[in-house]
Amino acid sequence: MKKLKYIFWTVAFVVLYVAASAQQQRFPKPEFESGYEQPTTITPEPRALSLEYFDVLVLLVVLSLASWLVLKKRSRQGVLWLSVFTLIYFGFYRDGCICSIGAIQNVTLSFFDPAYAISLTALLFFLLPLAFTLFFGRTFCAGACPLGAIQDLIIIKPISLPKWLNKTLGLIPYIYLSLAVLFAATGTDFIICRYDPFVGIFRMEAKFHMAVLGVSFLLMGMFVARPYCRFFCPYGVLLSWMSRFSKWHLSITPSACIQCKLCTNSCPFDAIDYPTNEKEVVKSGLGPKRFLVYAVLIPVWVAAGVFVGERTHTWLSKANPDVYLAELLISNPEIKNDPDNIDVQTFLASGKTMEPLVEEAKIIRGKFYIGSMIAGGFLGLVIGMTLLNTIVFRKRQDYLPHKGNCFSCARCVDYCPVEK
Amino acid sequence: MTNNDKLKLAQNVAVISGVFCTVLALLLLLNFWQFSKNDPVESQALDVLVQRLKEEPNNDGLKNEIRNYDLLARKAYFNSQWQVKTGAFLLLLGAVVLAFALRVYYSLKAKIEEPEKVLENEIASRILAQKGVLIVGAVLFAVAIVASFSTVNYLEKYDWQNAVVEAPAQSVDEGIEVIDIAENVPQKEEIVENNPPKEVVDETPEVQAIDAETPVAAPAPAPEKVVAEKPAAAFTADLVKRNHNSFRGPFGQGISYCKNIPTQWDGAAGANILWKSPIPKHGYNSPVVWGDKVFVAGADNQTREVYCFNGNNGKLLWTGKADNIPGSPSSPPRVTEDTGLSAPTVTTDGQRVFAIFATGDVAAFNMDGDRVWAKNLGVPDNHYGHSSSLIVWDNKLIIQYDTNKSGRVLALNTATGEPVWDTARSSKISWASPVLAQVDGKYQVVLTADPIVAGYDVQTGKELWSVECMMGEVGPSVGYSDGVVYAANEYATLAAINIKTQEILWEEDMFLPEAASPLAHEGLLFIATSYGVLVCYDAKTGEEYWEHDVGKTLYSSPVYADGKLFMMDNDGVMRIYEFAKEMKLIAENKLGENAGTTPAFVDGRIYIRGEDNLYCIGK
Repeated sequence: MKKLKYIFWTVAFVVLYVAASAQQQRFPKPEFESGYEQPTTITPEPRALSLEYFDVLVLLVVLSLASWLVLKKRSRQGVLWLSVFTLIYFGFYRDGCICSIGAIQNVTLSFFDPAYAISLTALLFFLLPLAFTLFFGRTFCAGACPLGAIQDLIIIKPISLPKWLNKTLGLIPYIYLSLAVLFAATGTDFIICRYDPFVGIFRMEAKFHMAVLGVSFLLMGMFVARPYCRFFCPYGVLLSWMSRFSKWHLSITPSACIQCKLCTNSCPFDAIDYPTNEKEVVKSGLGPKRFLVYAVLIPVWVAAGVFVGERTHTWLSKANPDVYLAELLISNPEIKNDPDNIDVQTFLASGKTMEPLVEEAKIIRGKFYIGSMIAGGFLGLVIGMTLLNTIVFRKRQDYLPHKGNCFSCARCVDYCPVEK
Repeated sequence: MTNNDKLKLAQNVAVISGVFCTVLALLLLLNFWQFSKNDPVESQALDVLVQRLKEEPNNDGLKNEIRNYDLLARKAYFNSQWQVKTGAFLLLLGAVVLAFALRVYYSLKAKIEEPEKVLENEIASRILAQKGVLIVGAVLFAVAIVASFSTVNYLEKYDWQNAVVEAPAQSVDEGIEVIDIAENVPQKEEIVENNPPKEVVDETPEVQAIDAETPVAAPAPAPEKVVAEKPAAAFTADLVKRNHNSFRGPFGQGISYCKNIPTQWDGAAGANILWKSPIPKHGYNSPVVWGDKVFVAGADNQTREVYCFNGNNGKLLWTGKADNIPGSPSSPPRVTEDTGLSAPTVTTDGQRVFAIFATGDVAAFNMDGDRVWAKNLGVPDNHYGHSSSLIVWDNKLIIQYDTNKSGRVLALNTATGEPVWDTARSSKISWASPVLAQVDGKYQVVLTADPIVAGYDVQTGKELWSVECMMGEVGPSVGYSDGVVYAANEYATLAAINIKTQEILWEEDMFLPEAASPLAHEGLLFIATSYGVLVCYDAKTGEEYWEHDVGKTLYSSPVYADGKLFMMDNDGVMRIYEFAKEMKLIAENKLGENAGTTPAFVDGRIYIRGEDNLYCIGK
């Protein structure tokens, strides 16, 4: 019966969002032969600077409030209502833009393209959550991120994933981050924004495949809590790094842990570390010998990553529109006569010739050559470090939130019977 | 209310909202299906009617029927859009209620579970994690390697020689492209092989006409016609000062040396309007005058032209076409409406008139309208459209060619179009124009762009000096007076630079121009902002003397003439001020049409290019 219910709701959600997304079409301009001139397309005015600064102020207030609610008030209820506000303001009102996750790309591009000037707002949206995380843990994820909020609010019946799966899927955000930085640095695309699964829901307008992706994440999120945050979010990688060094992080118990184990199933994100079973560790054979082997293998992983990056740069660079167009025109010259190919027709209408396009494409490919090697090396390092991490045991006697993975949502706090 | 009641309520709300959402989703799907069946744009009935109209083009009843049908279809579309929008909002509402009810339902049902007695075996889990990471890593790298081996690097396969052949093939199809005409013979032959000659002749009369005009084997930059040139008077500074041969007058400095300039007119009423002539094609370039000839340029997507008007009666004497130029793009680059394809002002040395367009086409005509030479400099990568005007000095046509790709200034031989020098600049794109400045008896070309203001030797093109002080999308050209260069741009700065020492004498950022160039003369400096404020400074110290908020956009550059300051706004109203430290408005004259260009001044006359017409003002 339970299963039937899940299936019913799942079908209802799919039907509902697919139907909504399928409706998104554009009405082509009418063609007049009477001499009527189409009015010029008007570009909407950018958001006023004062309002942009207001957004930063709101973020600052929400971050402060989230940190206070988590660390001082230890109030799950407070965090929940703050997420509702964040979802409404940064999600539905601000259409999911600007967001700290996407700001990674703005920051990257500003480093690699001297002609691109990053706005102060984008920079602050990128830096403020990181700064707060460094001091208070991932309170941004708890209450200030609209993507986190929408997933958090639909957690209905979370299931616990085995550690090995969490660890393995945990590699995806690093891959996503490397690609996002590589594409932003080469001026190719802002893939985090392009493939943001929830922005279409915030804006009530999305392409079919993005709507399906967004709905899929939400449906999955009913049972696997916050799937995007845990297994995709590239900003989560940076937040996780910061949070590991956080000075004041959420603790499950306000004073000494009484080992009651009531909190063991409280975290829907599997972010609670249990006390270490030292006997088993000694028995396991995962000792210093293996540690040394894995440590020595790290440079090998990095070298392998660099090699793979070097080999793959040609393939990756095809995502760049200039490279794509140049190769399309070289491999298929007849396409110039295809009036339906908008890319080609736009290029021809620009009056540019092939030579500068090919030159430009070669320059971009050169950037990919370096960038792909760095990205590959980084991924190699991540794989090596993750493997090494699996044989490092930290001595724990209590039930503690994993500083890197904990979203500071304060759910576990409600399970702890200990009072201050 | 007991816990059981709450549970039931939550369950019922969840079921109702779930059913509501499902019904709504089905309705939307139905709407979508209906719409896709009756797409107004793909309507077969409409196609049939349109087809009939082609056969009976004068059938008014049919036209009305098509209009009504089209209107109906569009109404249906927008109605459907409204339904989608409303439905989507209702769905969202339903989804929120559903999610809330489900949360309440499951939280009420939830019980604190007994702590697990046997926790997950961490060691086993870690070993599994190692395997998982290893597998993911290996799969990731393997997929990447496989992808790299299955990827073809087409860029390396690019054949530069064949590419030249490809371009004309397309041009023949479009009937406009002229690249092939002056290319070498084998290329031409190859094209002909690919495209039957008869077809080319039938479909592209332009190409045929060019064939007649241009020898097929002619080298690319060769003139299309041998034009006998008349001997002309030496091109001296005195001669330049008696005319208005470039944008902002002699040497591009915004100073006219002519006298008896009229101060009262009314374009609409015709008062003091000697003549008014329509300009065939649009352009934002300003008029240029040499003797009794007035030159302007215009362009549209099809053609680029230079017009010569009789200064005495406004009669269009000749139209010079900048067409069939080797290397010219088949279709013009995209430009914005406020810049257009013909923003740069032409220039003349009294023997020839030179014009440049947003396509990168440069053409020279003699004073009778015969084309002397023409060439394409490569399409400028400019997101608004190329707008730097030309200037001529010492038998050299000087072209500021700062694009998104690179900074560049070059000089062409005025007689042949051959390059004399070509200097790469460490600058970004610019829309400003060159200004000639005399320093120690020698002329320099002074250019402004992001980030440098720089001087170049007219003879060699060598960069003599450069000051890094500018930024943004630079539109205003520099002002020059008494050894000081005044460079300014909106959101950047107004800087007074000593041309000999490159010392920045003073800087100011209160009033900055977007398009109008600074005017410096006799110790005064004038700045005109796009938001309508005209400001007068002490040129030496930067102290503000006065400002006048005219409340109208000012794109035209201020000009000094006959002891007065002439400042035209974009509505075509010319304000004339006394050229002095105190503000004194002498007159306000309406042209009767919009005008953002800079007027030209000669003895007793002003020439103004309006939106559509060229005006001659005088008594």
